Amino acid sequence: MAVMIQHNLVKFQASERNNNVAEYSMIHHNVYCLIRYPKYLYMIKRIYGTSEEILLEILLNLGQASASNVIFHSANRLNEANDGEVLNPSALHQSFQRLAQDNFIIRCPKLAENATLLKVPTLEIEEKEKFAVPNVEIEPIARMLKEKATQLGEHCDSEIIWRVNHERFDVELRNVILVNAAARRVDTTAGELYHLILNLWRENSNPDSPATTPVSYNVIKDAIRKNDSSPILLEHFDHYLRVLHEDSAGLIDKPGDAGGGQFNLDYSKVFENLACASLDSIVLERFGSKALRLFRLTRIQKFMEQDQMQNVAMIPAKEAKMFTYKLLEHNFLQIKELKKGTSNFAPVKSFILYHVDLPQVVRTTLEASYKGLFNAMVRQMHDLTENKRLLEKHAMLESMLDRLKGDGVPDDEIAELSDTMPPAEKSLVEKIHLMSDNLTLGQTQADETILILESYLKFISKEL
Amino acid sequence: MGGRGRGRGNAVSFNIEQLGFGRGEAGPVSVTQPPPLFPSLENRPLPLIKDVENEYILVTQKDLSTRMRNSPFYLKKSEKINSTSYEKELPVLWNRMPAELRDETFTKRLATGKSKVTLNAKKKKVEDPDKIFAKLEKKERNESEVEEDGDGKEDEDDQDKSDDEKVENEDDVEEDLDEEMDDHTDYANNYFENGEAYLEDEEGQDDGEAQF
Repeated sequence: MAVMIQHNLVKFQASERNNNVAEYSMIHHNVYCLIRYPKYLYMIKRIYGTSEEILLEILLNLGQASASNVIFHSANRLNEANDGEVLNPSALHQSFQRLAQDNFIIRCPKLAENATLLKVPTLEIEEKEKFAVPNVEIEPIARMLKEKATQLGEHCDSEIIWRVNHERFDVELRNVILVNAAARRVDTTAGELYHLILNLWRENSNPDSPATTPVSYNVIKDAIRKNDSSPILLEHFDHYLRVLHEDSAGLIDKPGDAGGGQFNLDYSKVFENLACASLDSIVLERFGSKALRLFRLTRIQKFMEQDQMQNVAMIPAKEAKMFTYKLLEHNFLQIKELKKGTSNFAPVKSFILYHVDLPQVVRTTLEASYKGLFNAMVRQMHDLTENKRLLEKHAMLESMLDRLKGDGVPDDEIAELSDTMPPAEKSLVEKIHLMSDNLTLGQTQADETILILESYLKFISKEL
Repeated sequence: MGGRGRGRGNAVSFNIEQLGFGRGEAGPVSVTQPPPLFPSLENRPLPLIKDVENEYILVTQKDLSTRMRNSPFYLKKSEKINSTSYEKELPVLWNRMPAELRDETFTKRLATGKSKVTLNAKKKKVEDPDKIFAKLEKKERNESEVEEDGDGKEDEDDQDKSDDEKVENEDDVEEDLDEEMDDHTDYANNYFENGEAYLEDEEGQDDGEAQF
C-alpha cells in the first residue's frame, strides 16, 4: 500500500467521522498511465534531450522524490553510461528547472505544520507554489558523486517533493495527435505551424475547457518570427492558416475578425472528427469498404431507411441488407422505430430508421479496445511465465558469453558453451521474444486509439 | 408474430418481399448452438506500425519493466512476512504516510492473519476500563513532557505512543486467539457432544428403566 501511495497510484485522506482513520482511494487514471510511460520518455527526449529524459525516468522509477535526489541519481546513471566521466550536476539542475517551467513535473503537497502529531498527515499546497523550483545546493551533490555514494543523505530540499504531472503529459499526447493530423492533411510545414499555434493556445487557455481562448493573427505572426522556423513557413504562413481553417477537419476555427482574425480550437469538434475517422477505419478493416460506405452515409444523414440507404450508396440490395444487419449486430448502427398508425383495422406499419448514436458507438469501441489491450497483456504475461525457465537459462547463457568474450577466451570454448543450448530451444526463445515485442507494440497502438476515443467522450460530456 | 393483427388479421404484419427473400427462397439457417468462443476472423487486421518511434518505445518499455522489477519497490511474497523492518529498506517517504502504514505490527498482522482488523475495531470498544485509564495517564504524562521540553522530545513521544500501540496490539492478538472463550466459559465446545459418550454408558441403563 505504501509503495502504491509513493508512486501516486493511491491517495488517502482523513475520514470525516474519525480523524485518525485514513480512507484510501485509487487514482484510476494514473494506474492506466503506467502503460504510457515509454511514450512520455520519447516525447521528452524529442522536445528537450537526453538529460531531461534521464531525469524523468528516475522520477518515474522513484514515484515521488526531492529534486536533489533525482539529480543525484541521474548523474549516477549518466556516469555509468559514459564510463566514469563525472558530470556537472548544475547542468542537470537546469534541465530540472526547464521541466518544471513547462509543467511536466509538479510539486506534491507538503506536510501541514501539525502533521507529525496527527495519525493521518494532511497534505496541502498552494497554487503558485506548484512549479517553483527550490534552490538546490550543488556542492554536496557533487561531493557525493565523487565519493560514489549510493544514497544521498539529508539535504536542504528534502521536504520538497516532486512527481510526474500526468495531466500535462496527456495534453501533450493529444497535441501530438493533432499535429500529426495537420501534417497528414496538408503537409509538414502546416504541422509545424499548427504546433506553434497549439503552444500559444496552451499558454493562454484553461486546459479543461472544451475550446481554447482565441488568439489573434498578429500574435501568431510574432510567434512565428520569434521562432526560427523554416522560411517557407514565414512566407506562406497566412496561406497555411487559411487552408487549415477551411479544412473540414475543424483544426482551426475562426470565431471573429478582430486583430486580423481570431483563431481558436474547438476540441469537441476536432475530436469528434478524429473519433469518427477512427471508427471509420475500424469498420473498414473489419467489414469491408461497402460496409464503410453505409456507415458513413448513415452517420452523415443522421436517419435513414433501408431502401434509401441502398439507393444512395449504390450497393446491390442483398449486400446492403447483409452489411446493415452485420453493423447492427456489432452495434455500430442503431435502430429507431416510428409507428405509422393509420386505422385500427389494418396491420400497423412502422418506419425503421437506422442511425449512428455516436457516443454510444464510441463507448462500445472503447470497451472493445480496452479488452484488446487487456488480452494482449494477459497473453504476454502467460507466455513469459510459462517459458520463464527457458528464458532465464537463455539470459544467463548470454551474459556468460558476453563476459567470456570480454575476457578474451578463445572462440572454440565460446562455441562449445553456446551449443549447450540446442538450436530448437534457441529458436523458441527467439519466437517468444518476437511475440512479446509484437504484443507490446500492439498495446501501445491500442492505447493511441483509446486516447482519441476517451478525449472525445470527455469533451462531449463537458459540453453537456 | 404472424396473425396478431386486429380485425381481419389474416395478413402478417410484414411483407415477405421487404425482407429481401422473394417467394421461393429459404430464410437464413436457424442457429442451433451458441456462437463459437473464438469466431474465425474474416479480414486479417492491419500489420503493426513499426517506425522509429515505436522501436524506441519498445526498447524503453523493456528497460523500464526490468528496472522496476529490480528496484527495491518490487515486493516479493517472502519478504513481506519474514522481514522485521522493511520500513528501512524501502525508499519510501514514510513521514508523508498515515501512521498505520508505518506501524510494523499492523502490517505484519495483515500479511499473516486474515481480516482480524474488523474484529479489533469492535473489540476496542469493549476494552477494560483499566486500560483506558492507563492510556489516559500516559497521555497526560506525555503531554506535560512535550510542554516542558519542546521538539526534542517529540520523537520519544511518538515512540512511546507506538510502543503503547504495540503493547495494545499484542494484547489484542492474544485476545483474538482466545475467541472461543466467550464469556469465560468453554460452553460452546461442550454443547454439541460428540458421539463417543454413546456407547460408554451401558451400566446406567438399569436406572433408566424405572422412569415413567
